[in-house]
Amino acid sequence: MLVKDYMTRHPLMAAPDMSLVEAQRFMGQNNIRHLPVVGDGKRLLGLVTRQSLLIDPGRLGSLNVWEIAGVLSGLKVKDVMIKAPNVITVSQDITIEEAARVMVERRIGCLPVVQDDVLVGIITEVDLLAHLMEMMATRHPGIRVTVRMPDVRGELAKLVAAIAAQGWGILACGGVAAPKAAGKWDAAVLKMRDVTREEVIAALSQVEGHEIIDIRDA
Amino acid sequence: MQQSHKPQTPILDVRDLAISYETRYGDVPAVRDVSFDIQRGEAHSIVGESGCGKSTVAFGIVNFLGRNGRIVNGQILFQGQDLVGRSPEELRQVRGDRIAMVYQDPMQALNPSMRIGDQMAEVLVVHRMMPRARALDYCVTMLKRVQMPDPENVIRRYPHQLSGGQQQRVVIGMALLNDPALLIMDEPTTALDVTVEATVLDLISTLQREFDTAIMYISHNLGVVARVSSKVAVMYAGEIVERAAVSDVYLSPYHPYTQGLMRCVPRLGQSKRESFLYPIRGRVPSPKNLPPGCIFEPRCDYARDLCRQRRPELRPIKLGHWGRCHFAEEIVQMGWQPPEDFVAQYTAERSVDAAARPLLKVTHAQTFYPVASQKLIGGKKQFVRAVDDVSIEVRKGETLGIVGESGCGKSTLVKTIVGMEKPTSGDFEFMGFDIAMPVSKRKLELIQELQMVFQNPDSTLNPSFSVGYQIGRPLRRFQTVPRGQVEGEVMRLLDMMKLGGRYYNRLPRQLSGGEKQRVGIARAIAGRPEVVLCDEPVSALDVSVQAAVLNLLLEIQKEIDTTMIFIAHDLSVVRFFCDNIAVMYLGQIAEIGPAEAIYAPPYHPYTEALLSAVPIPDPRAEQKHIRLEGAVPSALNPPSGCRFHTRCPRKIGKICETETPPWRDAGNGHRIFCHIPLAELRQMDPVVTVRPGNRLGRQHA
Repeated sequence: MLVKDYMTRHPLMAAPDMSLVEAQRFMGQNNIRHLPVVGDGKRLLGLVTRQSLLIDPGRLGSLNVWEIAGVLSGLKVKDVMIKAPNVITVSQDITIEEAARVMVERRIGCLPVVQDDVLVGIITEVDLLAHLMEMMATRHPGIRVTVRMPDVRGELAKLVAAIAAQGWGILACGGVAAPKAAGKWDAAVLKMRDVTREEVIAALSQVEGHEIIDIRDA
Repeated sequence: MQQSHKPQTPILDVRDLAISYETRYGDVPAVRDVSFDIQRGEAHSIVGESGCGKSTVAFGIVNFLGRNGRIVNGQILFQGQDLVGRSPEELRQVRGDRIAMVYQDPMQALNPSMRIGDQMAEVLVVHRMMPRARALDYCVTMLKRVQMPDPENVIRRYPHQLSGGQQQRVVIGMALLNDPALLIMDEPTTALDVTVEATVLDLISTLQREFDTAIMYISHNLGVVARVSSKVAVMYAGEIVERAAVSDVYLSPYHPYTQGLMRCVPRLGQSKRESFLYPIRGRVPSPKNLPPGCIFEPRCDYARDLCRQRRPELRPIKLGHWGRCHFAEEIVQMGWQPPEDFVAQYTAERSVDAAARPLLKVTHAQTFYPVASQKLIGGKKQFVRAVDDVSIEVRKGETLGIVGESGCGKSTLVKTIVGMEKPTSGDFEFMGFDIAMPVSKRKLELIQELQMVFQNPDSTLNPSFSVGYQIGRPLRRFQTVPRGQVEGEVMRLLDMMKLGGRYYNRLPRQLSGGEKQRVGIARAIAGRPEVVLCDEPVSALDVSVQAAVLNLLLEIQKEIDTTMIFIAHDLSVVRFFCDNIAVMYLGQIAEIGPAEAIYAPPYHPYTEALLSAVPIPDPRAEQKHIRLEGAVPSALNPPSGCRFHTRCPRKIGKICETETPPWRDAGNGHRIFCHIPLAELRQMDPVVTVRPGNRLGRQHA
């Protein structure tokens, strides 16, 4: 579960001399929001985002309509891109949660992945959400149950033991400190297949101190 | 499975592409109306016979069309950006290092005067300005990823010090150094042996997954295509005639040309007794002179008026399956029946008298080539043991096939029999005469009885004499017919070759490859020889031509009862064509016997490996996965004991290294040269199994 497994290899990219008009159309046609700009040897020079395409009206304010057309057609990708030292990048060998941390802290939606300054891929928030989906086995139908338990060592093991005793398998599992209940832990999702809701309730209610706070078919 | 949210832009999207070459006689439209796309991480093949424009498409993509080629229409969208009509500088920027290409001959792609490491590192030092030491490190890593044995050592070697398979690995590794989004491979395994080809094809599949690289794979070999790719486009005379997933194209082809192609390749395990090859009649139209309607119409068995008038579009026939035929749906419904005269011609059974005295008998044959000693003074003379203790027998009317990797001595054996090499020792008996002498010392009658057909018709026909004269030469020399009848006899031979009298005055350069090979065959049989030795007679030919030439050879054999020795590296062709087969390895016979016995257990471990490496043009076929390590050892100093022990996957122990194996007799003339007891060999599973299912157009009449 490293960045290299989830990034998009061979992303669409642009040369610094591409006209902005073309870049805008290119991003629209291919439905992408981030366009890395590379030079020779795929060295990362910058990044064009949808924001880069919003041109400051102040810059055009003093011009008449004809001059505006001229200025716009003369603009190139390199004039508006975020330049390389300012682009936040990651290496392909970091974990996916580390990439998520960088994106959350910097409030950005995309990280070019580089190795020796060479662009090898790109990872976006959509890739991370896709990863979340996979972790939660969203594509596989089953019973999804959230169990709240004391934040004490060995509690999860008890829960897993109860499931194992039934001979069931766990498709997906994730845990988080309960948001509004101090000292509790939500074994957020346990997903199991080929079982019914009633069977799950019957089996899990045996475990002392655990409380089912949500159960659904998913 | 996590790919669905990735950008949907195809890596390569070719739309309505047309490419022409300017010549003195006007523009030649080499490629017309070609559209296809390759998604990220996908392997897409383009198959077709030579001259159909598949390489031109590839050259169009990388802009290597040469001075006289240009794109006249269409778009080539690479990762969403059009490559057509850009300046070279813009092209370089758009394409950057994102497209790489691997060619057929690795030796031509490598600089012979530079060490492997230096030329690989150059890519990184120049493009990425990487320091040299780091670049070399990176190259070693890359060589490891392309499964090169001993990469630290390899980077210090020169290209000629590597085997063909290793060279191709270096080229593939070099192409991947820049992590390209698209890798174009133009016949990358055509120059390699089957066993090496199999490992390179495995490597390509692994790398495709690992690097997420889209691959455009160009090949003429339907079997190779079935092994490497998921989608395939069939090209004919500059157009794509059919395009779909591999299994759809192979199991239910819609276009008559694709169907024809499937019928003219022998399937592994089929022999001439139970099946036929149906060549496609006629020949590919010249791009200067295309028919007005469907380009395949002149050769099509289903052609109607509409086909002559209107050119069909490439249209979707069903989901994910495109065909360029007006009547595709009907044709598939109709099924295919071979022409009746055709069936009558080939069904007549020939019989070989098994009890007859062998016509040709070779016992303990050895042919060594002397090599100058490495030492300056007093070194012992060394020998390349090209053929070392080989015994074969061929009865009248029989065909003996010889198979093996390159360098195993099959050509040397045949050349020794025909007298082009001097045997070192052994008995060579032909019709009761001793023929252990070079051709210059043989009697004329003997020379007449032993003739040869060569692999490359280009280099065996004299370019400055007419076809008629060249076929007539053996007639005059051997006085087969009286002087006055030579011309008439040549005409008869030309008819027999299905060429006709109008070829009499043509020069070799005015003939196609298949026609040249027919002339070569005509010349070989002109003196009515007893034995014809064919050294890879069809490997330089396209599949549809190959089928016609094989049929021709069968017909000749039936008509004049010729005995043949047939060398080929294509195991399906050998199985189809031959009665008996000898499998050679490093100058020795590993296994010999009736054709059907060779292709079923018990196998010699080497035969088993060869069979598992053959690419099969049938996606339902399942093969055992056996890959031989390394290259054939040097014949200068062959391994002791069993010569195959260095690569044998079934080696049983020390005995293989020290003792010459015994001949295991499996009955019916089937003998295996191996230490493994026969009972154990018999327990092997068959290498190829085919899941049941209907086979379109393969029904017997």
